[in-house]
Amino acid sequence: MATNPSDTINAGEHVFIKMPSDNVKCIVLKPGSTVALGKFGSFKANDIIGHAWGNSYEIYDRDNKTRVYHLDEINEIEETENNNREIVDDASSQKLTLEDIKALKNEGLKGELTGQEIVNKLKESHATFDKKTAYSQAKYLQKKGKKFHKVFTPIKPTAYSVNEYFYIKNPDKIRGMRMDTLSQLLSYSNVHSGCKLLVVDDTQGLVVSALAERMGGNGTILGMYDGDSPNYDILKYMNFNDKIQETIKVLSWLRMYRGVDEKTPDELQDVTQLTGKDLEGYHRRSKAYKIVEESRKILHAGDFDGLVIASQYQPESILEKLLPFIRGSRPVVVYHTAKEALLDTSTWMRKCPELLAPQLTESWLRKSQVLPGRTHPEMSTWGGGGCLLTATKIIDFPVQAAMTKRERLAMEKKNAEAKKLKREREELANSSNDASREGSAAPVAIASSSTIVVETTSTDATDATTGETTTTTTTTTIVQEEDSKEPSSKRTKLE
Amino acid sequence: MASTSASSSSAIAPAATTHSFARYKANNIVEDGDLVVLYLSKENVILIRVDVNETFNCKFGSYRHADMIGLEYGTKLGSNTGRGFLYLLFPTPELWTLILPHRTQILYVADISFIMNFLNLKPGMSMIESGTGSGSFSHSIARTLAPTGHLYSFEYHQERVNAATKEFEDHGLSDMITLRRRDVCKDGFDLVDRVDAVFLDLPAPWEAVASAKRAFKKNKIGKICTFSPCIEQISKTVTALSEHKFVDIQMYECLIRFQEVRILPILTIEEAMEKERIHESKRQRALPRVLRDSYLKATAKANEDEELPPAKHMKIEKGQEEENSNKDNDDTNKKDQSLSGTPAEFEASGKTVTITKLPVEQRGHTSYLLFATLPPSVDSLPVVTLE
Ligand SMILES: C[S@@+](CC[C@H](N)C(=O)[O-])C[C@H]1O[C@@H](n2cnc3c(N)ncnc32)[C@H](O)[C@@H]1O
Repeated sequence: MATNPSDTINAGEHVFIKMPSDNVKCIVLKPGSTVALGKFGSFKANDIIGHAWGNSYEIYDRDNKTRVYHLDEINEIEETENNNREIVDDASSQKLTLEDIKALKNEGLKGELTGQEIVNKLKESHATFDKKTAYSQAKYLQKKGKKFHKVFTPIKPTAYSVNEYFYIKNPDKIRGMRMDTLSQLLSYSNVHSGCKLLVVDDTQGLVVSALAERMGGNGTILGMYDGDSPNYDILKYMNFNDKIQETIKVLSWLRMYRGVDEKTPDELQDVTQLTGKDLEGYHRRSKAYKIVEESRKILHAGDFDGLVIASQYQPESILEKLLPFIRGSRPVVVYHTAKEALLDTSTWMRKCPELLAPQLTESWLRKSQVLPGRTHPEMSTWGGGGCLLTATKIIDFPVQAAMTKRERLAMEKKNAEAKKLKREREELANSSNDASREGSAAPVAIASSSTIVVETTSTDATDATTGETTTTTTTTTIVQEEDSKEPSSKRTKLE
Repeated sequence: MASTSASSSSAIAPAATTHSFARYKANNIVEDGDLVVLYLSKENVILIRVDVNETFNCKFGSYRHADMIGLEYGTKLGSNTGRGFLYLLFPTPELWTLILPHRTQILYVADISFIMNFLNLKPGMSMIESGTGSGSFSHSIARTLAPTGHLYSFEYHQERVNAATKEFEDHGLSDMITLRRRDVCKDGFDLVDRVDAVFLDLPAPWEAVASAKRAFKKNKIGKICTFSPCIEQISKTVTALSEHKFVDIQMYECLIRFQEVRILPILTIEEAMEKERIHESKRQRALPRVLRDSYLKATAKANEDEELPPAKHMKIEKGQEEENSNKDNDDTNKKDQSLSGTPAEFEASGKTVTITKLPVEQRGHTSYLLFATLPPSVDSLPVVTLE
């Protein structure tokens, strides 16, 4: 038995069942229940609960008994002299009557014959089987095999398998994001254990799920959402343990800043006066309020290690609001189903002094059938898989390499003033909600773009050497410092 | 690569700090001994180790490491001359893949990403990779398995082993990666019941399948990926995999199309005609009456023969050379000015169209990615083997 709980099929979890038809069905594995697989029969949940992922099972008798089924190795097909010239495949080529076949099926159901044995019987009594080409023999066996082997395979939900399941079943639910595109999103976001990420996810939680899987329970994901509650339906399929679940926090766009008229549940109601339903309501509200406050704190602490956006809303408008919370040299990844929707964003990014090297990519993926001697790309393939626009957050606060002592002091003074200003604005923002609605004067906005530390480099030794190489551009550079604090001036003109 | 001076060629000194590719620094500040990616332009990116006594020189000027110390990663740093600047970036596996010294063919982001996703790599897993090659994939794997997982990397070429060992050490990955010199096709991996996933980028991966099978953890599902450019290699590997009872064999190819975004000025036909009219009347006024008729005849004929001139376009491509002039010196726009105004004017009046362009030449094939699953070898259910 496998020891790690995520290596075994556990009761109460979501499981994908791959059926003989290759269709995939999603179930919740309730202990003691019987899982129906339509025409392929059914099996008992307890027969697979507690076992390791990776096996296939055959349903072999009327009582839904199952046993581990070892899939056959794929045999090399040797080309024969046969060709299809003389084959007329109709009902008459099968010597077994319908009745006979039914009887075989029944024996199969009782467990007296395996699917393989049934297929062999069919093969033996097929008049023209030997005359078929190796290819059509293989095809015949495969076709019959699928029908008579009632073999199913439980598949573990992972970012990949969940993505694939929904991409095939209902791509709109996940905004058409294909597995390869998601994989690139994960790379470009440099997600890893211990990250702190800011995410806007309208793929019903696919993106959040995949990021959380890669963080493995260490770090924080803060998901911004609109509407009554975040729609992260996909999360439930992932069977995350509590540790991973707890890395995911959410915050409503409307609660991004605390408004002046926003009252805590305690301010609204006197808890000592409440009883029954009212008291319950109070507890519910204060719990919800605590969550909002906690998330808001996480947001305003800033210093996020990346921004990932897969939203239905205009990406620039989101970037404008959230970029200030992202650390320097951290990835910004924007996903959209349609390339066209990212063109303006790309232009915007290029003008944005806080972003470096925007790159628009579209992924291409092809799957092939692999059978010895019969390998070729699959006949039908996927449509689009979505596009990614990536860039790196930079600090729009240029530092000149060489400065005189005088210039350095001037800059330090400026920095000190900026810090003072920042503190004042923070206080202001805390007490005003109007400012927050506009998205201006975001306290962290200033924090992340002004944390240039010139002081630490100013040793006497460096001052002496820099004095010689100073240029006049230094002062103009410093002037920008002020501009960079105003979100309105974040767009520099192209000309 | 950057036109670096001798002083920065010795940039990568032995790792003195715990600075690692596998995690961000808590303070995000460049300190003495840290690794920094210097980004000058798309084509000009270099990894250095900060040494307070060193200077980085390039054609835009020089940058003393001492001036980088104390700055936050992501800072734009101006050169001593004030002419150039660069960005101080935190090293990531993705950046490394773009700039690493090639000792072999390497894996790029499209394949790296897809393989990692398909193999379901995540923190805490153990994995085999062979051959190590230039260590491109190793960096991404280590980042993803960190901090508790482990990568066993195998390479039989001594110099590549040496170079990769040093790189892993320099990049703070040596506690995550065990690199062994070994001919895995001849001598196997010498690991039993140890890993969750195996990746083979070898000329003859089928020769390593049996040993890979032994290395997989016995009581759980295992996933393997082999990476081969030729379909004949895939054929042999498929046979070996199915002989060794791997199941669910699937093959993929994955490519990334890098799209260039451009803004083209665009006129309505009325505007174009208006321009032409103005143009024409100017010329006509300039011509003596006697010449006008023959001129008109000639231009009418020329217009028939001539094709439309290609549309002038602005290039939306961020590189420092361009950026320097674009953002700071205002040069680019002069270059880009078309007859009827600057791109900015076009943009202001809405007379532009934004398009994407694929590079003229792009990757058409890297390799076939072959995946297979190894079922757990022990399970308590009654096992039936057919045929
Ligand atoms: C294409 S490179 C791998 C590149 C690597 N995946 C990367 O991303 O940088 C293949 C490597 O496999 C090594 N190799 C080939 N056969 C081998 C064997 N039998 N045992 C160990 N290494 C082998 C070669 O020396 C070469 O360095």
